[in-house]
Amino acid sequence: MYNILALLFKYIFIIIIYLFIFSIIRLIYLDIKGMNVVSFDNKAYIKLINRKDYLPYKIEEYYIIDKVLTLGRHGENHIVVKDPYISKEHFQIVEDEDEYYLEDLGSANGTYLNGDKIYDIVKLQDGDIIKAGQIEFLFVNRK
Amino acid sequence: MNKGILSRSPRNLLFIFQVLGLTLLLIYKGKDIDKLTLGTAVGLVLVIYLSNYILTKITSGDNYIFLITTMLVSIGIIMIYRINEGLGIKQLIWISMGIFLFFLTYFIIRKIRIWENLTYIYLIGAYILFIITFVFGDRKHGAINWVNIGQFSFQPSEIIKILLIFILSSYYSNKDRWKEIKYSSYYLMGIIYSFIMLLFLQKDLGTALVFYTIFVAIQFIYEDDRKLVLINIGLSIFFGILGYTLFDHVKIRFQSWLNPWKYIERQGYQITQSLFAIAEGGFFGKGLGLGHPDFIPVVYTDFIFSAICEEMGIFTGIGIIMLFMILVYRGFKIAIAQRNKFYRLLALGISILFGVQSFIILGGVIKMIPLTGLTLPFISYGGSSILTSFIALGILQICSEEIKTKEELDEAGD
Repeated sequence: MYNILALLFKYIFIIIIYLFIFSIIRLIYLDIKGMNVVSFDNKAYIKLINRKDYLPYKIEEYYIIDKVLTLGRHGENHIVVKDPYISKEHFQIVEDEDEYYLEDLGSANGTYLNGDKIYDIVKLQDGDIIKAGQIEFLFVNRK
Repeated sequence: MNKGILSRSPRNLLFIFQVLGLTLLLIYKGKDIDKLTLGTAVGLVLVIYLSNYILTKITSGDNYIFLITTMLVSIGIIMIYRINEGLGIKQLIWISMGIFLFFLTYFIIRKIRIWENLTYIYLIGAYILFIITFVFGDRKHGAINWVNIGQFSFQPSEIIKILLIFILSSYYSNKDRWKEIKYSSYYLMGIIYSFIMLLFLQKDLGTALVFYTIFVAIQFIYEDDRKLVLINIGLSIFFGILGYTLFDHVKIRFQSWLNPWKYIERQGYQITQSLFAIAEGGFFGKGLGLGHPDFIPVVYTDFIFSAICEEMGIFTGIGIIMLFMILVYRGFKIAIAQRNKFYRLLALGISILFGVQSFIILGGVIKMIPLTGLTLPFISYGGSSILTSFIALGILQICSEEIKTKEELDEAGD
């Protein structure tokens, strides 16, 4: 009786161990997939603050702002976020004469800059925190 | 929600694994099991599950490393309990204490922020521990590395391992301050070599090798004076040859590695039994309780891997190696992400410690490299080994968080 059980359990053990390894590797994979090396010299970019492995959708760690950068649920945005709290066109960051401006595009749940909801176009400073839905970005402009 | 399932699933798998293992052991031992043991085991399963859950709440850092190690610990305890009930119960207690120490270390290191300036204290501590070993030490399996205090015995070299990492980290993170002393890097090298010599005199070759590797690795990464790295590697070759010709026990290890079949009666006995056990297990193993791991000497510490391979199959063995690889990988990732130099060095040292120690003993039991007696971290039986591994893990956990410097903390306080 015991022998049959032991035989059965050894397969189950191996399956569980491998499932365990697989699930961890999967989480790590989601974590490192966006770790592509980009040079940020003299470029403004936004950096994801959330732990990427906790967001259940695809998102990169860094986005370089090239003239304009938009975020939204719709597929034509630069940053596409499949989150129900994000509007189809949520916010955009625009560059104008070496200054960067954040603009809410009429989103349902609003865009927050350093914790305050924004209603108009706001100028961004290095180190500002932009929040939309549950995602937070750090604005970096080291010029 | 999707997010919840994703982050929870390894924890649940671990839980299922432990419950199944416990059930099987219960059936295996029949009615002989006493209630206290059962209670401890069930308690530990719950503690591990809860710890993994709480950890995701209290730490802003990594939460894979604790998961991985608890998986390793579970595989180890199932095997140890099956080989020797008494040791299994003791191991249960060690693991519970280990988890407690993990959290204790985590909170102590998080609260107190003076660790990078205590180089001399670490040094003195390490030498005192060496002296204690020589004065009160007992010989076990050919090495003097056990100290008995009352009923307990512990291996000071396990604690010195952590002190070594602290010494190296505090030295290289304060490089500018130490530069004022001329030839400070040479002194450091002298000190580390004195550690290695002392371990050599204790005939604790495995630990000596671990010390040396940690030192070379950190020196290779952080030493500005590249000449020293070359000198170090040169010296190791010199001492290796010297040790081989001077000391018999080194020679025996080497010969029984090259051809254990020739010495199968004596020096080669362990390694051949280990190879037989691994071969006997095949891909899926004989099944828990159906093999003969008791044929291998010191199976519950150094040769636990062979026993696991025999009864749970080489697939489990490969699984263990993969778990160690992920653990070390996470360690390096933590080190890379850490901005504070001292904690980065600590993370690096601890990852190297886990990686090298498991490599040396795993390589030893499968006859890839000469066998030296070491414990397999988190899996082998042994109080000092389990406790120090968990302390090291606690430090690694802290390193995975963003460490604020003292000035930043003061600013936040105002």
